[in-house]
Amino acid sequence: MPRCFCCNRPIPPGDLAVRFPCPNCGKIIIWRCSTCRSLSRPYKCPVCGFAGP
Amino acid sequence: MMSGESESTESELLLPLETLLAAGIQIGTKIKTKHMEPFIYKVRPDGLFILDIAKTCQRIRLAAKFLARFEPPEKIVVASTKLYARVPILKFCELTGATPIVGRFLPGLFTNPFLKDYMEPEVVLVSDPDADEQAVREASMIGIPVVALCDTDNLFQDIDLVIPTNNKGRRALAMVFWLLAREFLRAKGLIPPDGDPPLRVEDFEARPEEF
Ligand SMILES: [Zn+2]
Ligand SMILES: [Zn+2]
Repeated sequence: MPRCFCCNRPIPPGDLAVRFPCPNCGKIIIWRCSTCRSLSRPYKCPVCGFAGP
Repeated sequence: MMSGESESTESELLLPLETLLAAGIQIGTKIKTKHMEPFIYKVRPDGLFILDIAKTCQRIRLAAKFLARFEPPEKIVVASTKLYARVPILKFCELTGATPIVGRFLPGLFTNPFLKDYMEPEVVLVSDPDADEQAVREASMIGIPVVALCDTDNLFQDIDLVIPTNNKGRRALAMVFWLLAREFLRAKGLIPPDGDPPLRVEDFEARPEEF
């Protein structure tokens, strides 16, 4: 199960999570669970350090 | 590099400072949200919050590079219900091949396969998370990333990548979408790294007399 890059919890199947390549380096797929996304919790790319949103 | 943000080492502006300032992309509103704080440079004596133009440029470049990764470009939907964003978005899509949705966002467009105009985008760009709430909500329901132009009064709910900018002004919107188009075409190698798109910034401006 993928983990959320904001809260580090596993993302349960069926969660309205989003996944996208890191906007800066594109080297990793970033996951955000629906809760973190709707609460605007920040995420950080472990490869290049980019902090979003 | 600014305020410890490690996103990019290229901090140069996308155009001469005076050109960017003249378009007013740095002019915010009299409201500042907590989310937008890292992108705000100062408050003017008249109470208007001013954005950090270097960060705006950095994010335009980044967002264009991000959007350029989605293939084919028709899978990029650019949505806005705002009048002044209409022409800039149509021109942006003309140059990039992205799909425009201007005016009212038909509920179910991304979520109801029975709708005639139903579409399955892979990424969405909106001109204002508030005005384009329906597009943002539906993007989050189908799990695709959302890029948004955010002014000093916006919040980041369901937004995955923020472009801090004046998202209300006629000329500011023209400038931002033109720069996004230019950086997108450069990222794709469709124009040289120092090349310009075949349309001018003025071509991106909405003309009030047409409304
Ligand atoms: Zn989470
Ligand atoms: Zn990265």
